[in-house]
Amino acid sequence: MDSQIKQIHQQLVNKQITCTALVQEKLDLLKQNTHHTVNSLLDTQALELAAKVDVKIANGETIGLLEGIPFGIKDVYMVQGTYTTASSDLLKNYKSAYTATAIQKLLDAGAIPLVKENCDSFGHGSSSENTIFGAVKNAINPDLVGGGSSGGSAVNVAKGYTVFSIGGDTGGSVRQPAGYNNIYGLKPTYGRISRFGLMAYASSTDCVGPLAKSIEDIRIVLNVMSGKDIKDQTTYASAEIKDESISNSEGIKTIGYFKNFIESDAIDAQVKSDFLVSIEKIKAKGIEVKALDFFEANTLVSTYYTLAMAETASNLSRLDGTNYGERIESGNLKETYSVTRSENFSEESKRRIVGGNQVLSQGFSDEIYLKGLALRDQISENFENDFKEVDIILSPVTPSTPPKIGDSLKDPHAMYLSDAYTVGFSLGQLPTLTVPQGTATGLQISAAKNNDELVLKFANFLKDMI
Amino acid sequence: MSKTMTVDVLSSIKGAQPSEAVSKLFDVIKNAHPTNNNAFNNANNNAVSLNDLRDDMIIESAAIEKQIIKENFPNEKNGFLVVSKVIEE
Repeated sequence: MDSQIKQIHQQLVNKQITCTALVQEKLDLLKQNTHHTVNSLLDTQALELAAKVDVKIANGETIGLLEGIPFGIKDVYMVQGTYTTASSDLLKNYKSAYTATAIQKLLDAGAIPLVKENCDSFGHGSSSENTIFGAVKNAINPDLVGGGSSGGSAVNVAKGYTVFSIGGDTGGSVRQPAGYNNIYGLKPTYGRISRFGLMAYASSTDCVGPLAKSIEDIRIVLNVMSGKDIKDQTTYASAEIKDESISNSEGIKTIGYFKNFIESDAIDAQVKSDFLVSIEKIKAKGIEVKALDFFEANTLVSTYYTLAMAETASNLSRLDGTNYGERIESGNLKETYSVTRSENFSEESKRRIVGGNQVLSQGFSDEIYLKGLALRDQISENFENDFKEVDIILSPVTPSTPPKIGDSLKDPHAMYLSDAYTVGFSLGQLPTLTVPQGTATGLQISAAKNNDELVLKFANFLKDMI
Repeated sequence: MSKTMTVDVLSSIKGAQPSEAVSKLFDVIKNAHPTNNNAFNNANNNAVSLNDLRDDMIIESAAIEKQIIKENFPNEKNGFLVVSKVIEE
């Protein structure tokens, strides 16, 4: 699909549609939808902003490319004056006092936020069922999960309720729901986009990520949000990715894939054969394909979850009903903390907080946490060596198709393992894009750190080829 | 300080217990054999260079920001934000 942003921009400039009508149409679709994608609508503000865009156009003023484009925001981003619940009981009445840098840049470019989108509570989940707003239903088959944790965002884009949405990806939370709903979803290189104002899950892998229906829209939104931010000192300055620099596949000579991902018993037979067909098509275009060795899925998943749980236990310790969140009063301060957290955190969030405190506690930290960090370094080194041999690594997004709603909650360990193909690239902090091609849940394209441009370039090549 | 703290106390979650689903993940790590046992090499070093640190500065919050922060604290008495009773032990 071509750029929706450019198409709508042209329609606005040519006065074929008004921004108010466009925004109202999307708000109506969001309000009526039964996929549980909406935590709160930002209708009043959105219509006010749309009216301003219409006045500008009527006065013959020039509008920017993103001006008047309606978008969605995962409900873990601060947007001043809006409820920011993280889909949790703890923060169900919490209002953002300020706006996240990434979102502010989109607002400054004139994009119009419509909705705070449903997701797994604090990003804790792979199915968007761990939420107080009802399980997100898949855009293609509503009996299946929407994927997670940015499930509401992916479904909104897939259904056309938003032109693009901003999700958050810690271990696959943008890429997996993008795959489950057949759209594009990018996890940029860690640090390319500021995390300031994104509610922290695991700070060392948290990434801001756009979801959209075209590579061009991903490029446009990525460029606007990227850049160094004094409020997030892990950010770095990056150059704009130009349209023409990603329009051909020049410079991509060798790609690789991980043998053990494909030879695993856990992979669905159809996903495997579809992936191998894609590989053959790429070879037929004269690109060399190398089968690479990698860590076992079990090691990747365990390393990721060990570190992510340790980080989330620390990050969520401030949610105690006094610093943040709905307080439930009890006998004294300690009791109040304890009752507030017991009653207001979901089972899955509690499982992760407890796991995190376990690995960080004396006696366990050497045996598990520090070993996890050592494994992570080895995984990163492995990637560095691989990218001396290949330009791109191609993988399936998930081992199988989306589960039925209800199944993931019954077996958390199975849900963790379903992240086998996404978590490694998070640990490596690599740019990775889901494209809706190749297998039922898409393909992941990864490149070396800071090489987001090459990822988009290869996606364009695949779009015309598969 | 020598007393052992259980995970429910560490997590401030009543009745919290280690879970089987998570223990399975930890077992994989316990049995793994990383080739380097030094967890602090440079592969994921996101630390900021000393030359790149920003200066300390005081930024006055906007009135709207102050107002929302207060709204998020539901308990107010005589113009003060109220926290729970202090721990007496």
